[in-house]
Amino acid sequence: MKQPQQRLGEVIEASTTGFTAQCYELYELPPLGSLVKTTEGEIELYAVVYQATTEGLEPGRKPIARGKDEASEEAIFQSSPQLAKLLRSEFSALVVGHRNGNKILQYLPPRPARIHSFVHACTAEEIKAFSQAFGFLNILVNAELETPSDELIAATLRLMSTTHEDSRAFLVGAGKELAALLGQDYARLKAILERIKPTDESTKS
Amino acid sequence: MLDLSRVAGQIGEMVGQLKADGQERQQHLVRALTLMVDRSVDFEKLKRKAAQSKTTFLVAGLVEPLATHTKPAETPTDFSVIATDGSQIDVDRHQSARCYLINIGRIRLDYGKNPRATLESLPRLCADDNALVISGGTREQVVEGALLNIKRSVDECQHLADMSAELPPAQPALAVIDGSLILWGLAGKEFPDFVVEELLDKGFIKCLDDMLKLAKKRPLALASYISFPRSTDVVNALRLVLCPHDPADCDKYCGETNIGKRPCDAVAGVQDRDLFANLLADSERSALFTSQSKIVKENYGKHWVNFFYMKLEDEIARVEIPEWVAQDTAKLGMTHALMLDQCRRGQGYPAALAEAHEQAVVTGADRENFQQLVEILMADEHMTQTTSAKSRSKKTRWV
Repeated sequence: MKQPQQRLGEVIEASTTGFTAQCYELYELPPLGSLVKTTEGEIELYAVVYQATTEGLEPGRKPIARGKDEASEEAIFQSSPQLAKLLRSEFSALVVGHRNGNKILQYLPPRPARIHSFVHACTAEEIKAFSQAFGFLNILVNAELETPSDELIAATLRLMSTTHEDSRAFLVGAGKELAALLGQDYARLKAILERIKPTDESTKS
Repeated sequence: MLDLSRVAGQIGEMVGQLKADGQERQQHLVRALTLMVDRSVDFEKLKRKAAQSKTTFLVAGLVEPLATHTKPAETPTDFSVIATDGSQIDVDRHQSARCYLINIGRIRLDYGKNPRATLESLPRLCADDNALVISGGTREQVVEGALLNIKRSVDECQHLADMSAELPPAQPALAVIDGSLILWGLAGKEFPDFVVEELLDKGFIKCLDDMLKLAKKRPLALASYISFPRSTDVVNALRLVLCPHDPADCDKYCGETNIGKRPCDAVAGVQDRDLFANLLADSERSALFTSQSKIVKENYGKHWVNFFYMKLEDEIARVEIPEWVAQDTAKLGMTHALMLDQCRRGQGYPAALAEAHEQAVVTGADRENFQQLVEILMADEHMTQTTSAKSRSKKTRWV
């Protein structure tokens, strides 16, 4: 069940802890908390999507409301076909680990991603392989982002759990790891656990 | 440093003067409007008079009766609009590398069943002798400043012709140029003949020829769009109605009379757009007129510039078209309809032109980055850079 690699976009900003990528197609954004990868030479960087935006291409040109006299949202793009070219979708991802040869390492790589590197969505196997250990949770817990990190951690774990045969066991394992990391902050731990509570549906699969 | 406090008083005076002038102009406007709709004015006679008179002002050639106003034709369901606009980085004589850059924005918008857009910015750096000077025999003219502006207009038209050739043959299409079809820059200054020949005959007119060739085989029209026009060609035709002499000869009859005292000055100060703002209903176009400017008469041939005014929600626009569009009823109707449609889509200004401008624009920051890039690349090649003391002084400011 090898899935083809889905190319999501291209790195346009990069730092040690994360990168921002522009999508090739408008609105083709990876979901919040999904695992993506890019390369820096031989090293493959893994990162979790924490923020996505769609806005005007140029900072000085703000989109304006145009649909007052249009029948549908689609009609707006039909009567002004240039609009799609003047908007762009971007997403930012937090680097949570890397792969050097066959070794998956859940800590920061030596160098950031390169500008214009391609960003791919990770396949189910890759996500499963990466989430065999929970070392990445430490990075997520300590990250300071625009998106509340509780929301991000929960979304990440929910998505990862779907790649494991026993998703319940995966979530329980993750919960234990979080309890160790957030022992001092019961309120935060509770908020995350509530968001990843295994549902009936996930226990079935 | 501009001392604004000293300017403020002068602005006050200016506003006062404008207000006083406004009242007089209003009376002149009423007079002009009365003449426009006056049925006792013999149109054929006026047309003849306009053609035969010798005036010191530019009089529009008359094609349709003055008070004509035409509703737009129906907009086709599937059509394309293409447009170009350009800007440039002029030769900087304080820098060691002699070069200029022309950036052309090209837009193609397809509407209807398969909506699509192509937005391009195509910069071209010119540094070789062929591009930096126009030569004719033993003489040469340096391309910079006003001449570079004209060269850019020619490039814009060239790109438009190239894009026209790539359009699907059966699709109705309008090609739009920003500003005037008349290369006024060449008309005003006394450039040597070989410059006019190079830029106009072998440049601009050649591109129009190419488009005409295409337009014979496909539903393609060409037009230029002037927002907030300041022309007075049509008002000047009304001056001829007021002139007691036939044919009029300004120098002969009024050479000694002061401006403001001549019989025709009863419509002075009025602009064409004031007339048509009152005469046209929303979306209508005015009568067709022809340009009688010297440069058009002498050089444009079958592309003789015709024009009409068009009423939009907020303003009167002037649309210029070559003779072959003006004389083809279908193409004239399509030009009117598609220009209107473009203005509606573009919040008052043709959408394709607005986007072409966005693609073409070169900002102050772009200019600086460009100069820096030139300097860096020259330094890489160990080429000595000699910038002028003036240029350095502007960059390093000390007290």
